[in-house]
Amino acid sequence: MPYNIIVLIKVIPDLEQIKPNPTTGEIVTERTPLRLETLSENAIEAAVQLKEKYGGKVFGLIFGKPESAPMLKKAFAMGVDDGIVLTGYKGNNPVYTAEVLCGKIKGMQYDLIISGNQSADTYTGLLPGIISGKLGINLLGNALTIALEDRKIRVKSTLEKKIQNLSATLPAIVSVTQETNQPRLPPVMQIMAAGRKQIVTEAAQPQTMPGTVQISNRAPRSERKRQLYEKPEEGIAAVARAIKEEIR
Amino acid sequence: MKTLIFSDDGEIAAQMCAYLKEGFENTIATLKGEEGKCRRSGARSMFVFTGQPTASNLSGALRKLKDQNSVDLVFIGSTAIGRDTAGLLAGSGGLKPISEVTSVQFSNGKATTARFLYGGKSVLTEESDSNLFVVASGISEASQTENETEITEMPLDHSPVTVEGEEQKSKGGVDIEKAKVIVSIGRGLGKPEGLKLVEQLASAVKGEVAGSRPVCLDYHWLSEDRQVGLSGKKVKPRLYIALGISGQIQHIAGMRGSRTVVAINKDKSAPIFEECDYGLVGDLYTIVPKLVAALTS
Repeated sequence: MPYNIIVLIKVIPDLEQIKPNPTTGEIVTERTPLRLETLSENAIEAAVQLKEKYGGKVFGLIFGKPESAPMLKKAFAMGVDDGIVLTGYKGNNPVYTAEVLCGKIKGMQYDLIISGNQSADTYTGLLPGIISGKLGINLLGNALTIALEDRKIRVKSTLEKKIQNLSATLPAIVSVTQETNQPRLPPVMQIMAAGRKQIVTEAAQPQTMPGTVQISNRAPRSERKRQLYEKPEEGIAAVARAIKEEIR
Repeated sequence: MKTLIFSDDGEIAAQMCAYLKEGFENTIATLKGEEGKCRRSGARSMFVFTGQPTASNLSGALRKLKDQNSVDLVFIGSTAIGRDTAGLLAGSGGLKPISEVTSVQFSNGKATTARFLYGGKSVLTEESDSNLFVVASGISEASQTENETEITEMPLDHSPVTVEGEEQKSKGGVDIEKAKVIVSIGRGLGKPEGLKLVEQLASAVKGEVAGSRPVCLDYHWLSEDRQVGLSGKKVKPRLYIALGISGQIQHIAGMRGSRTVVAINKDKSAPIFEECDYGLVGDLYTIVPKLVAALTS
C-alpha cells in the first residue's frame, strides 16, 4: 500500500570550509557555503526507496533560512515529490526546531516521518525523540533497514553493542544512520527537472526561540608541535626517539 | 542538588557519577547486566531496569524515578538509545535538554555547558536553565568507592515499540578509551592486508589498534568498538599514531585529548598534520617498517 512520508532535511554550512578567525578563534559561518547535511541525504534516500517499493509520496521539510531554499531542489532531484522551506532558523536548539516542525506536520496527512539520527554539524541527536514525544507517535531510532506492511513498521535498530529488531504501528518517526544506505547521485535530467520546480517558503512559527545564551564559540586550541618531515628518512630517528619517550 | 543519572552503558553512568561529586546527591540507573560497572560509584541509590529496553519505556521509567525522588537534574549518557530517550523526555516530559556536553557547571540556578559544534570545529560554551543533560562519553574517569550501592530492580513497562529480537555485534574485546598507546588507521591503509604491518607497529609500541569511521563502519576492517571520532570513541592516550588518516574534523574531535600525536600520510596537505606533534610525509608502507626497525633496535 502507498504511504505518505515526510522527510526532515537539514541544511548546514559546509564544515570543511569553516575557518576560525585566526586571532580570536571565534567561528563565523555567515558566508560559508551551504550544503545538505550528510544524514539528511541518507534520510531522503530511505524515504525515496520506500516510495519506490510501496508507492506513495515523499514530502521534504526544511527548517532553515531563505538561502536554504535551493537545497530543496537537490532533494527533488533525488526523488522527493514536494516540499517546503520554513525560514527563520536562528541556531541550534532542538526543542525549538521540533516545535516549528511539529507545528507544520500537525496539519499534514502522513504515515511516516524520516530524519537522520544525528546531524553532522551539531551531533545533538535529540530531534527524533522530541518530535516523537510532541506528536505522540512511535519512535524507531537508528534504523539500518526499514520495512512496511499495512500499518506496521519494522526496523533493525543499531545500538553500540547490539542490533534490535523493532516493530510498531504507524504513524511513526524513524531515524536513519550513515550506514543505512548510499544516497543516490541523481541523473542530469532529474536535476534539470528539479531546477524548474517552484520552491515554496513560509516563515516559521513560533518566531521566538527560547533558550540559551552563547558565551563563546571558538575553535579548540591546539598546541601541537607540528614537526613535519617531508623527507621521512630524515625524521624516522627523531620520531622513534619521541615514541620511545612516550612508551617508557 | 538531586540528580538522576542514566546510561545503558554502565561505564558512562559511572563516569557521570564521578563527575558529579561535590554537592550532588546521585541516583544512578542502568540496564540489567551493566550494574557491575557503576555499583561502586558512590551513588546514594541505584536502579537496574529489567526487560527489553526501548527509548519509550526507558523514558517512562526515568520520568517515574524523577518524580518519585524529586530529582532536580537528569543526566543521560550519549548513546544511540540514550539520545532517543532524552529526546522523548524533552518532547513529552517538558524537560529542557542540552546535548553532547563535555563539561557542566552550576551557579545561580544556571548551567554553563560546553559542547562541540560544526563537527568538532568549535567548542560552544553556553549558559542555560537546562535540566536534562546528554553527556558525551569520557566526561571524567570513573572512580571506585569502597561501598557498593544497594540495587533496586525495576521492570520496564510494556513499550508500544516492540523488541522482536536482537543480535549482538561482534566486538574487538578492547576498550580503546583506556588504551595508553593507540595505532590508528584510516582509508590511506588502502587494503585490509595492510593490518599485518599495522599490528607489527602496534606490538612494537605495545599499543591497541583503532581506526577512523570508514575503516570501522564502511569497510569493516576493524570492529565498530575500535572507531575513534565524534561519533565513536573519544580517546586520550599518551601516544596516538595516525596512519593514513587524513584528519577529518570529526576524527580529530575523537583524539584531541591525546598527549603526543604522530602522523604518517602521503598527502602533505592532509589536515592531520595540523593536529600532530610529529609528522612524516610519505607512503606508510615504506615508512612503517623503518619505524618498527628503529623502535626495536
